[in-house]
Amino acid sequence: MRRNINWGKSLSRIDFFMLSAVMILMFIGVIFIYSSGISSTGVNTSNEYLKQMLRIFTGFFVLLFFSLYDLSKLKNYTNVIYIMFIVILIYTKINGTLVNGARSWIYIYNFGFQPSEFTKIATILFLGKFLDDNQRDIKSLSVFIKALFIITLPFGLILIQPDMGTASVYIPIFLAMLFIAGCDIKHIVYLLLLALFIILFTMLPGWEEYILQSKNPFVSVLTDPELLIYTIGSIFISLILSAIGYFYLKKKYFYWFLYMFSIIVISLVLSYIARTYVLKGYQIMRLIVFMNPQVDPLNFGWNIIQATTAVGSGGLIGKGLLQGTQSHYQFLPEQSTDFIFSILSEEWGFVGAIIVFTSFLVILGRALLILTYAKDNFSIMVGAGIIGMIFFHVILNIGMNIGLMPITGIPLFFVSYGGSSLWTALAGIGILQGIYQRRYRN
Amino acid sequence: MQHSINKVRVIIVFIIIVVSFLYSLQHLYKMQVVDRNLYQKKATAVYSRSIPIDAPRGEIYDRHYDIPYVDSTESFSVVVNPASVGKENYDTFIETLADYMNITPKDVERKFPRSLMNSHKDIEIQRSVPYGTIVGLAEHIDELPGLSWRSIPVRNYLFSGSISHILGYIGRISQSEFQVLYNEGYTLTDDIGKNGVEKQFDKVLKGEKGLKYKTVDVKGRKLDKKNLEPDIQPKAGKNIKLTIDRKIQTLVEKSLGNRKGSVIVLKPSNGEILAMVSYPWYEPKEFNTRGENSFGSLLIDEDRPLLNRALQAYAPASTFKIIMSVAALEEEVPEDLSTVCEGRVFYGDRYWGCWNKGGHGEETLGEALRDSCNIFFYTLGRDYLGIEKINSYAREFGFGQKSGIDLPYEASGQIPSPEFVKRIYNEQWTSGDTMNVSIGQGRTLATPLQVANELAFVLNEGVIYKPHVVKEIIDPVTNNVISEIPIEVFTKSSFKKETFDEVKMYLRSVVTDGTAKNAIFTPAVEVAGKTGTSEVGFADKFHNWFISYGPYDAPVEDQVVVVVMIEASDIPDRWRPWSTKATNLIYHGIFRDETFEEVVQDLKPYYLRELF
Repeated sequence: MRRNINWGKSLSRIDFFMLSAVMILMFIGVIFIYSSGISSTGVNTSNEYLKQMLRIFTGFFVLLFFSLYDLSKLKNYTNVIYIMFIVILIYTKINGTLVNGARSWIYIYNFGFQPSEFTKIATILFLGKFLDDNQRDIKSLSVFIKALFIITLPFGLILIQPDMGTASVYIPIFLAMLFIAGCDIKHIVYLLLLALFIILFTMLPGWEEYILQSKNPFVSVLTDPELLIYTIGSIFISLILSAIGYFYLKKKYFYWFLYMFSIIVISLVLSYIARTYVLKGYQIMRLIVFMNPQVDPLNFGWNIIQATTAVGSGGLIGKGLLQGTQSHYQFLPEQSTDFIFSILSEEWGFVGAIIVFTSFLVILGRALLILTYAKDNFSIMVGAGIIGMIFFHVILNIGMNIGLMPITGIPLFFVSYGGSSLWTALAGIGILQGIYQRRYRN
Repeated sequence: MQHSINKVRVIIVFIIIVVSFLYSLQHLYKMQVVDRNLYQKKATAVYSRSIPIDAPRGEIYDRHYDIPYVDSTESFSVVVNPASVGKENYDTFIETLADYMNITPKDVERKFPRSLMNSHKDIEIQRSVPYGTIVGLAEHIDELPGLSWRSIPVRNYLFSGSISHILGYIGRISQSEFQVLYNEGYTLTDDIGKNGVEKQFDKVLKGEKGLKYKTVDVKGRKLDKKNLEPDIQPKAGKNIKLTIDRKIQTLVEKSLGNRKGSVIVLKPSNGEILAMVSYPWYEPKEFNTRGENSFGSLLIDEDRPLLNRALQAYAPASTFKIIMSVAALEEEVPEDLSTVCEGRVFYGDRYWGCWNKGGHGEETLGEALRDSCNIFFYTLGRDYLGIEKINSYAREFGFGQKSGIDLPYEASGQIPSPEFVKRIYNEQWTSGDTMNVSIGQGRTLATPLQVANELAFVLNEGVIYKPHVVKEIIDPVTNNVISEIPIEVFTKSSFKKETFDEVKMYLRSVVTDGTAKNAIFTPAVEVAGKTGTSEVGFADKFHNWFISYGPYDAPVEDQVVVVVMIEASDIPDRWRPWSTKATNLIYHGIFRDETFEEVVQDLKPYYLRELF
């Protein structure tokens, strides 16, 4: 392989559609980071927009590096990178700086970053390598479970930081990669159902307490440990019986019994663990107020109420740049990061939102197209992971701004203030551009 | 390694992306375009606040409209917004403020401790700050960030004494008042008139509140932003001009002295009250200070100082004989009817006494009224009129119904019909009851105001004008009269002119030769009147009336009616009965235009020897 890079050739092979969409989003980001810094008295109180411009500038080098550097050369080192980031995550959990109740930041001198962001890319690379190596047995359960384990390690470590939002991003990454890799749909559906039941069983006691506000016998099964053990025990026996039936009688319907019963048992156990040991009270409250913000309008419901009020009052064309009331009178929290879409929608209205959605659609659409051009399986896997990551960030962040998703502190890629997420996203774009550039190479 | 991607799965992913984007967009469309107004309203509710601006309450003047009895001034309270001060400025702020306000830094610190530095809520440093101090602070506002002041309207009662019963007082609106007045623009933090003119004319006096809109941020800080709606300026309450003459009011108040009772000075020709005194009275400005004049003390005072005695019902006693005389002259009573008074008469199963145990001898109507002979009126009532006729005349004179004076809590008195007595007391009406009513005892009750109207009826020859204390409502800015209280006829009867002439002649003889002989010796005016003494069940204790008018022979427009009513008291009064003596002073003061002190010097009455 040549070590020198043909600049002219590389430049001509850039996907300009995707890159322009990214530029537009970053430009909009700087505008509204500036807007969010304007206080109620009309004074600019923040230089975040300048910092963001610096990060965009440095981010270009990240993008350039990942688009020019052939990642397949790294293929054999992905396990080392992966393990390195796992170690960093463990270190962060122990020695990280406490910000907003979570240990997700580490500081080197004055420069702080979130390892959980970069770990996404490392995990995507390692999982890509793993799936590439096991392409032949991709439909087997053992490959699926091994792949799940690769994801679960960083997922769990980030979940206990605790940072539910960032952790949850690993789920779509995993699903997208396995789906594109061609795994058995049954396994994906199993995982989706499991996730659904875990969320359901985790939420029900809170739903009973804050929204139903009366006792429900079904919910008592989840909260009363004794009842829970009986329930799990009896379903577990059915499970064993189904397993015996399946292995001895080889009847297909025993397989589906096994499928369903195991989902329920595992979700019951995991939701109990999640509720009792993993999730903090405030995390459950965030999910509760998503169902009904008026349960706690001045505290947990505040963000969701202020965000939707800002968005809704923006109207079709918005109140005009720097004219937002909810944002500039400081009713809207976290304006430059998690809720930047709210200030954008308030000041630019529905039209501004359409620009954002269109840009992301261009990025994701072009990314999917690039997948079809890719020449090697590893690139396809990595590209799919990046698509899953970007898509989930967009849907979750915008969803929480407009009241469709619970509040989880994950940024809107390219737009939100923050270096780690921007560089991660730009690295992802760089990787996709790299795949695009090498599309004709054999 | 060659690999061909599963294109179907790529398309599925693309569809998932597009569908979820479209779903989010349609939700956003619903929020921003369809339900926009809903969210806009929410947003406005969050950042727009309105504060009411109090309207100054109208002032109350006497009939000369020169010095107000009551006015409203602004009192300033100095407030500070701690968060605007800034931590580093705390010490200098405290010192500077204390210096300009002439208080010690300790006083400021006590109200505004360092621990409250971060609060956005205003703290009141001092109340009732003089205007001069505020001007001083305004000049140095640059050195005092976060400092501001508020004006609070304060009601000042500038004159103390008996006028309080007419003016009344104001207080915080009660829940029950608020429930009733909810639709008339009152709020729970409003002050409302509780008594007197303040209550009766509350809507005139209170004005209309203004509204000041402000835009606030999340911490409630006022922002320097253009408001969505313009401020509404408050409309000041209207001023009131009373019919009361301050000079006469004070004269009457002092003439009555500290005797429980009431005095009314009324212009019979139009119903204007020139003076109305009820003793004891109260001092609204001392309601909130400790001591015997505090509101709490007044409530448990056995003398009930909050009661306006001029509007309470008593037995009219012998003053009722005027009505009896009119009835006798109007009805078919023999003109030469006369009785022989021997001090008492036996009727039924007991003796009925005259006040003069020695007896009046043979007397006709005129003589009997002059001497207030009970025996004559017993006979007249029992044998010639009967209870139905007596009651119907009493009604003609305005008894048994509220006069409609523009003051609250007026009693309506009582006219006892046999049916009424049967219903309420379950007693059969007897001739003895008629005899009692005939001399103003028994169950007939009248307020001093109704008794004053009784004389006005005679002087107006059958007409009573609705008594009132408010003359005009005046614009506080232009001093133009907004509305004049109209003169209204309260009752009208068509009796013979001769009847009234006759009765007036008799009433004059009461003063010249009858029961009030020698008591009215003022040379200022010729007075006619009628005494009254009502038993209250104890020996030597009487309610004591004197009702009169003067000048005796002037046209009614120039006449005044004076009613003095003094309650029976445990405190021995050397100069009992005082009602005629007080009347003597009052007429002299009114017609010589003199104050009480000048009257005493001028007239040198023997019963006020200690004053000259």
